[in-house]
Amino acid sequence: MTALARIRALPSWQLTLGVALLALGFLIAAQLAAEGPRVRYTTQERTPLVQTAKDLQTEQDGLKARILELRDKIQGVEGEGAGAAATVKQLNADLQQARIAAGLIPLTGTGIVIQLEDSKEPAPPGGSEADYLVGSRDIRDVVEQLWHSGAEAISVNGERITTSTAIIDVGTSLLVNSAYLTPPYQVSAIGAPDLYQELSASPGFIDFVRARGAGYGIQISVAEPESVDIPAFVGTVTLRYSRPIESPSAGPSAVPSGGPGASSSGGR
Amino acid sequence: MHRRASQLTIAAVAFVLGLLVVLQLRSQASDSALAQLSAQDLTVLVANLNARNDQLRREGSTLERELNTLTSNQARGDASVDEITDDLGRVRAYAGLEPVAGPGVTIAVEGPIDGPGVEELINELRNAGAEAIAVGDVRMVPGEVVSGTAGALAVGDTALPPGFELTAIGAPDKLTGSLTRSGGVIAQFAATQPDIVVTVTPVDRVELPATDRTLIPAHGRPRL
Repeated sequence: MTALARIRALPSWQLTLGVALLALGFLIAAQLAAEGPRVRYTTQERTPLVQTAKDLQTEQDGLKARILELRDKIQGVEGEGAGAAATVKQLNADLQQARIAAGLIPLTGTGIVIQLEDSKEPAPPGGSEADYLVGSRDIRDVVEQLWHSGAEAISVNGERITTSTAIIDVGTSLLVNSAYLTPPYQVSAIGAPDLYQELSASPGFIDFVRARGAGYGIQISVAEPESVDIPAFVGTVTLRYSRPIESPSAGPSAVPSGGPGASSSGGR
Repeated sequence: MHRRASQLTIAAVAFVLGLLVVLQLRSQASDSALAQLSAQDLTVLVANLNARNDQLRREGSTLERELNTLTSNQARGDASVDEITDDLGRVRAYAGLEPVAGPGVTIAVEGPIDGPGVEELINELRNAGAEAIAVGDVRMVPGEVVSGTAGALAVGDTALPPGFELTAIGAPDKLTGSLTRSGGVIAQFAATQPDIVVTVTPVDRVELPATDRTLIPAHGRPRL
């Protein structure tokens, strides 16, 4: 009996099973091979740090969810008092406006989404690998250009950009509002229907695309969906050092601290 | 009978196969970013996550107290005017709608700095926990950007004269330390653009103006 004839003689279920088992074998091998370097990585002193980082991220998600829930309840209770006096009604309306201004209310509207991804080109010998990755400088550039083009609200991978938001590098990833973000980065912005035209005509954005996109192969794409959703900022709005000023002066003014080691400023 | 057994076998193999495909894909997608970080980066990440979680916990407690007061007032038939007024003041101060005063730093900037350079300083101040920042007489709020080339700087539509100052409220030592640390933003200026001179002065009290923007979107609307 030839090999071909032997295969033909096999019932079809045996063939199917054979193929499936073959694939299974490959996958098990792939899984084991993929785990190899990662296991070696994490058996070093980094293991507890990676685990701590993961635990803290999980905790952060829980804390955020709790804050959103509490805010909802507070808004509910405050709103119910509205039936009472006109002053309370006015206060609540003012509070709602202040929350919108502070970025504590999710928004929806016309806008664009810009996606940034690491370059697929390998760094040339002698070149810096970091130049071919999306970094905090890139995201800040795009955010600044969007504000400049008239954007009203911006978020990066679901983190709302507010008055207190820092965007910094941590390794090849980012921290935005101290939340750990990895590529691809999606910068969502709400603005006038011509936001995209404004942005693509701005010299700053053209320079950015030329330098980072054409220069290093950073993948930049822009989408203009029907509507863009921007989440609320979930973080503290309680100021610990700042006090409201009853009778404000015209501009910023400073009282130099008398402590030792304080250098003198140039004055204004 | 024989057929039933073979079908079961295939089903079992298919199940394990599917599970493995999913496992393989997920293990490649999720952990890879964290696994790529060096021990030093992981330490920075953990410190940041810790600080943020502490803040979130405090904010949660503040909100919980607020909710308790509001509910007990409501049970008594009280309108909670004081609580809502406090809440309003807190949110307006954060947003930049009120002038504020407190300890912090003044930063004198001399030399050929450009818009992105000033934004680097602002980003570092925010990272160090600055609660309010002004450039010249302009309070920095979302939408306000320092732009332009050296000597032709502007904040929004307001021109920024040479020898301008940044002011920020926050823990003076933390703000100063973060800006002047080795490898920090000022050290990078010194290495790449030595003509730029940045002088950080801790101060006991600095006053920052409110923004003149309304910060109310014209195109975005609240999503409920």
